[in-house]
Amino acid sequence: MLLSIQNLTVRYGADTVLSIHSPVEIAEGDRVGVIGSNGAGKSTLIKSILGLVPYQGMIKTGLKPEQMAVHMQFNEYTDSMPVKYIMEAILGTKISRDRKLQELISFFEFEDCLRKKYTKLSGGQKQRFTIILVMMQNAALTFYDEVTSGLDFETRQKLVEKLVEWYQGKDASFLMVSHYYEELDQLADKLLILDNGQVIDYGGREELFRRYCGRAVIITGNTERNMTLLSGFEKLASPAHLIALSCESEEKENRIVRLLLEHDINYKRSNNDIEMLYINAKARADKAGREAGGMPGSGGKENHAK
Amino acid sequence: MQNNSKKKRLISGQMLLFEFRNVIGNPYVHIFGVGMPVLMMIIITRAVAGEMPEGPILSAAMTSIFLGIGALIPMATIFMGYGVSHAQELEKGIPQRLELFGIKISVTLCNRILSEMLFMIIAFVIYFAAGYGFAEVEPPTVSGVILYLLCILVLSMILFCLAHAISSLIKKFGATYCVTMILYFVQMILGGMMGISYDNMPSPMQAVAKLLPVTYINRDFGTVWKGEHYNFGPMVQSYLLMGAAAGILLFVTLRKERRELH
Repeated sequence: MLLSIQNLTVRYGADTVLSIHSPVEIAEGDRVGVIGSNGAGKSTLIKSILGLVPYQGMIKTGLKPEQMAVHMQFNEYTDSMPVKYIMEAILGTKISRDRKLQELISFFEFEDCLRKKYTKLSGGQKQRFTIILVMMQNAALTFYDEVTSGLDFETRQKLVEKLVEWYQGKDASFLMVSHYYEELDQLADKLLILDNGQVIDYGGREELFRRYCGRAVIITGNTERNMTLLSGFEKLASPAHLIALSCESEEKENRIVRLLLEHDINYKRSNNDIEMLYINAKARADKAGREAGGMPGSGGKENHAK
Repeated sequence: MQNNSKKKRLISGQMLLFEFRNVIGNPYVHIFGVGMPVLMMIIITRAVAGEMPEGPILSAAMTSIFLGIGALIPMATIFMGYGVSHAQELEKGIPQRLELFGIKISVTLCNRILSEMLFMIIAFVIYFAAGYGFAEVEPPTVSGVILYLLCILVLSMILFCLAHAISSLIKKFGATYCVTMILYFVQMILGGMMGISYDNMPSPMQAVAKLLPVTYINRDFGTVWKGEHYNFGPMVQSYLLMGAAAGILLFVTLRKERRELH
């Protein structure tokens, strides 16, 4: 076990911003995606693990601080010199003498940026700069906090592709906070779902998907015609413009698909859609909270998948 | 972990060069740490030369002015320059970012203080060249020059600790700039560099002025420079007092900055 979190509470003044009761454990090789809306406690979780915010409770790890690497949401460096020198000083090496660093620079296509100062780099180049430094740390556990936020679609795609390629075949663990579910789709095999500072659930992606969405989901547009046609089926929670149907069995899935095909209706089928998983996990937690007499988002949480 | 052995070294060539580039990348230290002392020294010694007849008294006055203004170099380059630049870095989260890459605060501090000293030495070389070029500075005795450099060096270290502590406690560029600037001028005024000499100060001002090392550097170093007898007691006491204040502040700051990992 690389890291174990139990009974963790983080307070900013009088506000409790993060409260984790059941153990959250990260094992070697785990690739954990952390999802939740703004203010859910995602960045606070990373900061508490790194000892950057005071907390109560237990974060147990055998890792030394230098065995954990982090790509923070905002990374700034001095602007007094070209990034080449910053890179060499931080890593304690010379680019010209370090094959691994040369490979990483080339892998992330950063050669032309080395002579530039940090503020002269574009958003994507800045992210790649920190990623190179983080990866050179070769840490047992790496944290990525919204590594692609603020980047345009194309740059984001390219960066994620590079990360996927880099981690392929490696057994390094990471914890990645992201609002872009398609990124986690490619990178994460476990999910930690946070809401309002509390854990809704934590576990393997497939396991969580089955728990909240069933075997598969069929998603189609939310039109009056589709609504009437699919009125006989129980709906999952979904964004307002969509209808999502849970397919608990193959037989039910076939019935829905046949019906949609007969009426020439476009649909999407998924057995691992993170957005659907998140929406339904949150909806279930809110419902449990309401039933428990609390405010939506304040109860029925901590359903850790075993 | 990659390059672990290099990172564990308290002082390394690369970190030293990195911090030195950081120091020289701050335009403030060139203007106020090199340009201003040289300019002030030339203007004031010229003004004094215009009012005094040539001779040993003029040389002694010029030497005293020269040595006193020299104390502005560590005050500007280290106290204000480092304080302001560190506050700016704190505002951006740069020191924390470096720490998260495994670079300990002790490593950053050691390499930074050495870089600041290196820059200060260069500033002093320029200052001395200008002094001997434009003013009639008396040649020093060996003990005089050693004591002057020692006093400047110790003052610089104290000022570095103070600057680090003040910027770390305030954490904001603007407020740090304001506080260090005020303290800089307070030291200049009380040190007798702004027109009122120590002897002409009202007694409450004198009571504060005698607690500051810069007062003694400005007022008395002409005597030490020539190797004449001088009672170092009050000056040492001022150093000890300022050093203790800086040490306590730095200790409190470092404790506050410490990361706690369970």
